[in-house]
Amino acid sequence: MKILLIEDEKELADAISQYLRQEKYLCEMACTFNDAIEKINLYQYDCILVDITLPDGNGLKVISELKQMNSEAGIIIISAKNALDDKINGLETGADDYLTKPFHLPELNARIKSVIRRRNFGGNRETLFQEIRIRPDEMEVYVHDQPLVLTRKEFELLLFFVSNKERVLTKESIAEHLWGDSMDLADSFDFIYTHIKNLRKKIIEKGGEDYIRTVYGMGYKFSVQ
Amino acid sequence: MKKTTIRLLVKTTRYYLVLSAGIFLITGLVFYLLLHRIFYSQLDQGLLNEKMLIEETINYSDSVPDFRTIFGHLADVTILYEPNKRSDRIHDTVMYNDEEGKFLSYRHLFAENTSLRNKGYTINIYKPLLETEKLIAWILAVVALLFITLLLLLVLVNYTISRRVWIPFYRTLTLLENYNVNREKPLPVNESDIFEFDRLNQALTRMSDKIQRDFLNLKEFNENAAHELQTPLAVIKSKLELLIQDERLDEGQLKTISAIFEATTRITKLNQGLLLISRIDNEQFTNQEPVLLAPLIRKILDHFGELTDLKKIKVSTTLDETVTVRMNSALAEILVSNLISNAIRHNLLAGTLEIVLDAARLSITNTGKPLTCHPKQLFQRFRKSDPSADSVGLGLAIVHKIAVLSKITIDYQTDGNLHTLLLKFF
Repeated sequence: MKILLIEDEKELADAISQYLRQEKYLCEMACTFNDAIEKINLYQYDCILVDITLPDGNGLKVISELKQMNSEAGIIIISAKNALDDKINGLETGADDYLTKPFHLPELNARIKSVIRRRNFGGNRETLFQEIRIRPDEMEVYVHDQPLVLTRKEFELLLFFVSNKERVLTKESIAEHLWGDSMDLADSFDFIYTHIKNLRKKIIEKGGEDYIRTVYGMGYKFSVQ
Repeated sequence: MKKTTIRLLVKTTRYYLVLSAGIFLITGLVFYLLLHRIFYSQLDQGLLNEKMLIEETINYSDSVPDFRTIFGHLADVTILYEPNKRSDRIHDTVMYNDEEGKFLSYRHLFAENTSLRNKGYTINIYKPLLETEKLIAWILAVVALLFITLLLLLVLVNYTISRRVWIPFYRTLTLLENYNVNREKPLPVNESDIFEFDRLNQALTRMSDKIQRDFLNLKEFNENAAHELQTPLAVIKSKLELLIQDERLDEGQLKTISAIFEATTRITKLNQGLLLISRIDNEQFTNQEPVLLAPLIRKILDHFGELTDLKKIKVSTTLDETVTVRMNSALAEILVSNLISNAIRHNLLAGTLEIVLDAARLSITNTGKPLTCHPKQLFQRFRKSDPSADSVGLGLAIVHKIAVLSKITIDYQTDGNLHTLLLKFF
């Protein structure tokens, strides 16, 4: 999987690409508008992350250029602007998703996976983790090929875990993924605990293993070890 | 207490009236005295002439003429035996008048003359003052009438002129009253051909331009500052997220990082709140549309469903499905969401939350701890009833901003453990 990251803030770009490389993605970076245009004309990417405000141009133009080229790459806008207009414009121009800075890296990762999965029409649209098989579009989960009945939040939680397997996920990032940023954090931590407890119980009931590990004071990790 | 004020024109007219009346009174008095003097000197001159006539008659006729009257005036002549006396005296006197049957004022000439045919005579002539006094009174009356007419005319003229002269001033005043720095329109230039008003207008225009510029700068600064903070925050967050993946971290280090994480999250939320406020201030939510409130309220209650379940809060709603409010839809969502999340956050365990929506208003009532500060203060930024609370203290400030922008009045009522936020639509 090849990803192009168009972002002028070097430190942020480094952090993102480091995180994505650990996910076995091939991550290329473009720091300027011209650089980005050059790269999309030369290479094919599966997913492109675009910052709207670039020093020498508007990220939206990169998207319309991609659309003119009939590119099949998934496009995610990452912007410091939480302006609704930008969001609407971006999505109308052809972006698949919109993420406002500052975001959690696991969130970005989950969004990238979701976009790539939706783009990948012909291929396998299932996500596998050991004995757990998830069909995201149908919202179905199988453990040892037995269907697992989950609530919507439990399903989202599981998918988020599997998308970021072997990673420490902070409670904040889980809370924001499940409820957006309108939820009070202190309250949501209690729900996370409840949901995780239920999810664990349901998976174990179907004969699955407990992969959810607690990272002290920090959050959780979905891991084989 | 309301200060009593008086209109400029009324004030000047009043001064004008009092001053002119005073001046007219004094000049009137002087005029009267002058008139009096002139008439009396004429009267006295007449008396002396008559006396001379009597004396001439005495000289020619060589007898004591029997003067009862002269030119219709009462007169009498008596022989005086004392020699060497000569004097004229004129003064006012009061005598009984037989014809009129009452006392009347007279001008009385008393003359002694011993040089006439070696005999002396005294001559008395009485001229009634009634006519003269009447004349003076008439003249004074006419003059007073003239004065009063003149005074009224002058006041009228002064009033009209003042009104015309002050027109540019009143225009400037109206413009100033309608001026709103928030509206991003400069104070309209108001021309006047009166030097002082022109100066005033120029000074006002300069001042309002400066205020406008500063205000815009400040608004821009607020928004830009909040914006610029987003990227470093994103860097901190992402670097921390990378850092915690390190397996070599021990518990203490994880604890430290966790604290940094939480603080960063707080700054992020704070910054987002400030950014939202400055964006509302910068009028980036101008397009308004009718928003159906009932479905919005249900959607948000559903969103917070887990919270109300966890706190065992009893939620009851009475919603009029047809109520729409003309406002920005994104702001409507933020408004309702902030209100409901507040009502849940500050609620008691197993408390109640009641939402009533009708055509005129939306009321959200919840149980909660009694307030420790004045309700009005809650709408200020960073004002919290419970300072240790985990929120950043911008929720109600944002609610207030949105309400003002959407012309909704908002009121906080509290009665012990019950808190009600009342929104009235117009």
